[in-house]
Amino acid sequence: MSKRRIKKVAVLGSGVMGSRIACHFANIGLEVLLLDIVPRELNEKEKAKGASIEDKSVRNRIVNEAFSTAIKSKPAPLYSKSYTNRVSLGNFDDDLEKVAHCDWVIEVVVERLDIKKVVFEKVEKYRKEGSIISSNTSGIPIELMLEGRSEDFQKNFLGTHFFNPPRYLELLEIIPSSKTDASLVDFLLDYGRKYLGKKTVLAKDTPAFIANRIGVFSIMSLFHTVKEMNLSVEEVDKLTGPILGRPKSATFRTCDVVGLDTLIHVANGVRENCPDDERKSSFEIPAYVQKMADNGWLGSKSQQGFYKKIKGEDGKSQILSLDLNTLEYSAQEKVKFDSIGKAREIDDIKERTRVLVNHPDKGGEFYRKSFYELFSYVSYRLPEISDELFRIDDGVRAGFGWQLGPFESWDALGLKETLDKMKEAGADVAAWIQEMVDAGHESFYKVEKGVKHYYDVSSKSYLPIPGTEDLVVLDNLREEHTIWKNKGTTIIDLGDGILNLEFHSKMNTIGAETIQGINKAIDLAEKEYDGLVIYNTGGNFSAGANVGMIFMMAVEQEYDELSFAIKQFQNTMMRVRYSSIPVVVATHQMALGGGCELSMHADKVIAHAETYMGLVEFGVGVIPGGGGSKEFALRLSDGLKEGDIRINAFRERFLTIGQAQVATSGKEAFEMGYLRDGIDEVIVSRELQLTRAKKATIELVEKGYTQPIERTDIKVLGQEALGIVYVGANTMKSGNYISEHDQLISEKLGYVLAGGDLSERTEVSERYLLDLERKAFVELCMKRKTLERLQSIVSKGKVLRN
Amino acid sequence: MDTYIVAGYRTAVGKSGRGSLRFSRPDDLAAGVIQHIMQQNPSITSQEIDDVIVGNATPEAEQGLNIGRLVSLMGLNSIDVPGMTVNRYCSSGLETIAIADSKIKNGMGSLIIAGGVESMSPIAMGGWRIVPNAKVAKENPSYYWGMGLTAEEVANKYKVSREDQDEFAFHSHMKALKANENGTFKNDIVPINVEQVYLDESGKRKTKSSTFDQDEGPRKGTSIEALARLKPVFANGGSVTAGNSSQTSDGAAFVMVASEEMVKRHQLKPIARMVSYATAGVDPRIMGIGPVKAIPLALKQAGLKLNDIDLIELNEAFASQSIAVTRELGLNPEILNVNGGAIALGHPLGCTGAKLSVQIFNELKRRNKKYGMVSMCVGTGQGAAGIFEML
Repeated sequence: MSKRRIKKVAVLGSGVMGSRIACHFANIGLEVLLLDIVPRELNEKEKAKGASIEDKSVRNRIVNEAFSTAIKSKPAPLYSKSYTNRVSLGNFDDDLEKVAHCDWVIEVVVERLDIKKVVFEKVEKYRKEGSIISSNTSGIPIELMLEGRSEDFQKNFLGTHFFNPPRYLELLEIIPSSKTDASLVDFLLDYGRKYLGKKTVLAKDTPAFIANRIGVFSIMSLFHTVKEMNLSVEEVDKLTGPILGRPKSATFRTCDVVGLDTLIHVANGVRENCPDDERKSSFEIPAYVQKMADNGWLGSKSQQGFYKKIKGEDGKSQILSLDLNTLEYSAQEKVKFDSIGKAREIDDIKERTRVLVNHPDKGGEFYRKSFYELFSYVSYRLPEISDELFRIDDGVRAGFGWQLGPFESWDALGLKETLDKMKEAGADVAAWIQEMVDAGHESFYKVEKGVKHYYDVSSKSYLPIPGTEDLVVLDNLREEHTIWKNKGTTIIDLGDGILNLEFHSKMNTIGAETIQGINKAIDLAEKEYDGLVIYNTGGNFSAGANVGMIFMMAVEQEYDELSFAIKQFQNTMMRVRYSSIPVVVATHQMALGGGCELSMHADKVIAHAETYMGLVEFGVGVIPGGGGSKEFALRLSDGLKEGDIRINAFRERFLTIGQAQVATSGKEAFEMGYLRDGIDEVIVSRELQLTRAKKATIELVEKGYTQPIERTDIKVLGQEALGIVYVGANTMKSGNYISEHDQLISEKLGYVLAGGDLSERTEVSERYLLDLERKAFVELCMKRKTLERLQSIVSKGKVLRN
Repeated sequence: MDTYIVAGYRTAVGKSGRGSLRFSRPDDLAAGVIQHIMQQNPSITSQEIDDVIVGNATPEAEQGLNIGRLVSLMGLNSIDVPGMTVNRYCSSGLETIAIADSKIKNGMGSLIIAGGVESMSPIAMGGWRIVPNAKVAKENPSYYWGMGLTAEEVANKYKVSREDQDEFAFHSHMKALKANENGTFKNDIVPINVEQVYLDESGKRKTKSSTFDQDEGPRKGTSIEALARLKPVFANGGSVTAGNSSQTSDGAAFVMVASEEMVKRHQLKPIARMVSYATAGVDPRIMGIGPVKAIPLALKQAGLKLNDIDLIELNEAFASQSIAVTRELGLNPEILNVNGGAIALGHPLGCTGAKLSVQIFNELKRRNKKYGMVSMCVGTGQGAAGIFEML
């Protein structure tokens, strides 16, 4: 059989999920057909306009409105507004026949089996043979949807469960029926990862599948534990938030966002449809939760749930929390646990989990109780919801944003040690775990030769996680292949002559250690290796230069030292480009300020699709001083052709920095000029990013990489550009859009980008521009208002506009 | 030597950007009006015209390449008549009439076509390549300020409230809508045939023709409340909005100025004569106040008093400056912009002076009145005013 190709996708149903799923397929470059029902009657506006039900605009009203709401929503479902026209809109009555041209039809209509079956019956009439049909159901068994369908339909049908918002939430559950072609399952597990950037998780056709089954159990069991231990809403959220490697919304805030009604719906579904679940009772709704639901306190959608936002007497809004005993809202109390205090400074999540769980205080007690319940529960879910334990970890990690899944947490706490403690505490555990421990196995996972293996229950042996055998995974190499390390960075040998430099400073800011690390990595690579990748597994690639250091020197008025430090920063950035080995930078999430400058000096950037790149130095009262301003002048020069209106191109570059524009996707980083067409790349899959970056580095080596020659041919505009800078800055100031200090920073930036006040367009060198840039940077650091801005970021983490 | 305005027409004014005249080039618009003037005076031959003077505020791109001469070639279908481009920003179209008038008065010609044209659709405000003098920009940035910011400055300095501006704008629309409805501008307007070549939904080349003969700026259904909802666009916390500023527009207007001898030779019917024309400089920061200085000068030249003036067309660059000028000079609102102004009808920069002249001739005639004044503020801190006497 020839390879499956997905060129065009149909999404049936344009609700919150449908529209956003359509957008994500547009993101990856496909043509998308988005359909919804024809409205039954004209609305008031249409009546007033004298429209008829036959009008296209009326017939497509539902899909038109839903899609337009979606593309305006935040966070944006599209990588770029320009992708909007990849989605064509229509309705089920007039346009369903167009599914004949689609390679994949995704059903996202209401959660009612009868309606879904009608839709599938119609789709069957038009679909082409071999095309994929999938349902995005989160609750209806896939098996029940097969009835009445042809063999080809059944073979090509399965569940594909996206999570909201589909662009940002990493999980995609793949749920085959008994009739689904096995090759289709393999295809989608790979396609979802590589093309859609998702963590694909193979799930069995059991109620709530994997992530919701475990996630909702975890919440429901907490609902009970909270009462037993008499903990408050804010206490639980403090205990189950970032400190535990979970999202800030923790437990109760997550409930408010999801909606209590949804949660109860899923819980009831599990209780009713899983008669053999040994913890069925945990899915019973506690009285206080039922009461809340009866009161209509469902969370964000009803403006109150476990929290309620009110406007205080001083006009400031305040978030109250619910007292679970009295069901009254009151001001949140400060939460203090010794266990949290002890764990706070520990960066490593595994170590942190150990400290938290083993602490004797009430927090520790809570952790032990809830983890033991969770561990017990997941032990019994094999093979019910999955044959392999890693899929449960994958599902919970990707679906709920936990840093560690249940089995991974258990590993962190020690398999046997925890099992013993659980037994001591009277917790029940599935037999296979005892067997496993008896056989002398010490963990659920282990890394062998850089590949992560999981304990396979049926064969009672460790097997590599399928699909990861050929991946380059930093976490799996760190232990054995670290060759150099300082406080802020680690250099790891990726094999095949390629080194990786990872940052692990706070927020991955670039400070003295980072600079040392970059230089060391380039030294090492130049001496003994072929190339270097700069990539890390932190929350963000890099939040920018270490502002604290700059602030200290500026406050102490050590301007020579400051200038020297900036020069070192600049030289390091220049080395990234001008070294004898290729340097590839692989970014994800925030790549701001210095992190952006570092990227701009790479031989190649492999940016994850979710890269938020920008030169945001204005916020701290300076201009980009690590080569960012220079690089913009250089790219401006390179981008101009004879006859272009130079001043307009100049203005665009100027405003990108002047307005501290941050790209909201890798694609936008190209549009804003942070990334270079034809050189840099965007990759949708975070999981595959490092593997690609390593390969790209090798490709550069293989192509015959030679050290580039520093540029001396950058054409700057000089005075031609200065006038508009001064007028623009003055106009913005006079119109009260910017402060006097902003005006000054703008003028300094303009001066650097223009290459100074040269009388005519002149060719200058990178070094000339770097000197201008550094001078302007240091001069700004002499200003009180810049110091205030720096201090605000250092002490409060807030951008001050003064 | 006496001079006479013997003909005057304009195109209807299109909204720039998305309006009906975006498919018509400025040279075609101007040529269209001139052809109409010639058709209305069949006894005059092209060779008898001494000059064509074209006002234009942004003479580049579609309006570049010496548009004055091109319009003469295109409008008169003759190589014999010269043409020139005149730029005094927003008073260009009035300036050209004054130049024609003085040339004839001084015996430098006997029959001249003068007016102005502006297509703001294809050309960015201020032009495509704005390169201020860096030194001047640093020392006197307000020389280069955008007009909107100067309107804010006027509002602040002369304490013109947001409410007053919105109300002024509302009345401009109401007066203009009524004028449209009554066909008040019928005698001003030369219908323009607009041809659009485009691709239809299936990508096929199509052409569409239509006749454009009514000003499209006035907004039906606007209200003070709707205007009050608009956000200021030139200053954070300011009061000048897109709703109480003039509209950017496309349009052309021309008059024919003749000597007494020409009037006799062709038995032309004089409409009006230019009595005086004055310009004045003010601080560029408060550009909009220019008429306050120019109007008294024009009155003095004419030997007239404000009371003698029967009708005023004060270009509504911004409501803020229109109100400030009205208050400072004590202009009578009853005779000011009686058919609405640029806030509703549009402001095709270089054309406006000629367009307002054409409008005032017809309105004075309708009212059987004698003196009319056309005045406007002018970019970079100037004012202009011209007084006409009906004949």
